[in-house]
Amino acid sequence: RGPRLQLRSLSAATSAVWLAAYGLFALSENSMVLSAAIFITLIGLIIYLHFVKIDQESLLVIGSLGIQVTSSYASGKESTIFIEMGQVKDVVINEAIHMQKVIYYLCILLQDPEDPQGVSEVVPLFQSSKPRLDCLIEVYKSCQEILEQRKTAPQSN
Amino acid sequence: ENSPAPLPERAIYGFALFLGSWFGFILYLIWAYVPETWLFSLGLTYWPQKYWAVALPVYLLVTVGIGYILLFGINMMSTAPLNSTHTITDNFAKKQQQKKFQEEAIPALRDIPISEVNRMFFLPEK
Repeated sequence: RGPRLQLRSLSAATSAVWLAAYGLFALSENSMVLSAAIFITLIGLIIYLHFVKIDQESLLVIGSLGIQVTSSYASGKESTIFIEMGQVKDVVINEAIHMQKVIYYLCILLQDPEDPQGVSEVVPLFQSSKPRLDCLIEVYKSCQEILEQRKTAPQSN
Repeated sequence: ENSPAPLPERAIYGFALFLGSWFGFILYLIWAYVPETWLFSLGLTYWPQKYWAVALPVYLLVTVGIGYILLFGINMMSTAPLNSTHTITDNFAKKQQQKKFQEEAIPALRDIPISEVNRMFFLPEK
């Protein structure tokens, strides 16, 4: 599957950069400004696709091993984070204030080693795709099914 | 007791403030508009420069305008980020004591942990 970049934002950014470059060219009469602008646009697009634009985010929960979070960028790069099951306290849907709205987001609560009831860290998931509550509830239910099994099936240490 | 009803003392305070504010306003107009030479001939030589009659109101209005933006920005800065534990709990909730459960009494008020709240909302029992 190829990267899905919005035509609107791509043409808006390109036009803005080229308009600024044309303005600079009209001021300075130096034609290098125009070729530099084209160069900057291309390099900027490549950097954006490789470092900023996340195409897919996935969550893999294995009951006895841990949780793996994968983000794949538009250029094909994939970055993963693995959290072992011993550190995971729970996976919950949290509500928080973000900018001027209250959003629901799924997050992993990490266990505090000293305090069995405490939470040492919060790892938010799906930060780029930001699914809505009905989608989050489905993911939450599936995660809870798997997480319950680790309590009822005690491991042999 | 402390009631907001009108009292004779409050009427006197109000009238004194009313006269005082009119006096202050007339004084400000005299300071801003009457030429310096006329003020000197009256013997009032040590009044501040007329520059301040314009500068102080401008300072005040710019401060009010910046205050709107500053307050909005301070609010946004002190909002906890999405990955901080402050969105889940705080010191008071961590140190709360568990009260004993009594039969047929309303349960005591406490901060319910987020896992329990989530289970109640999103996992309906059959």
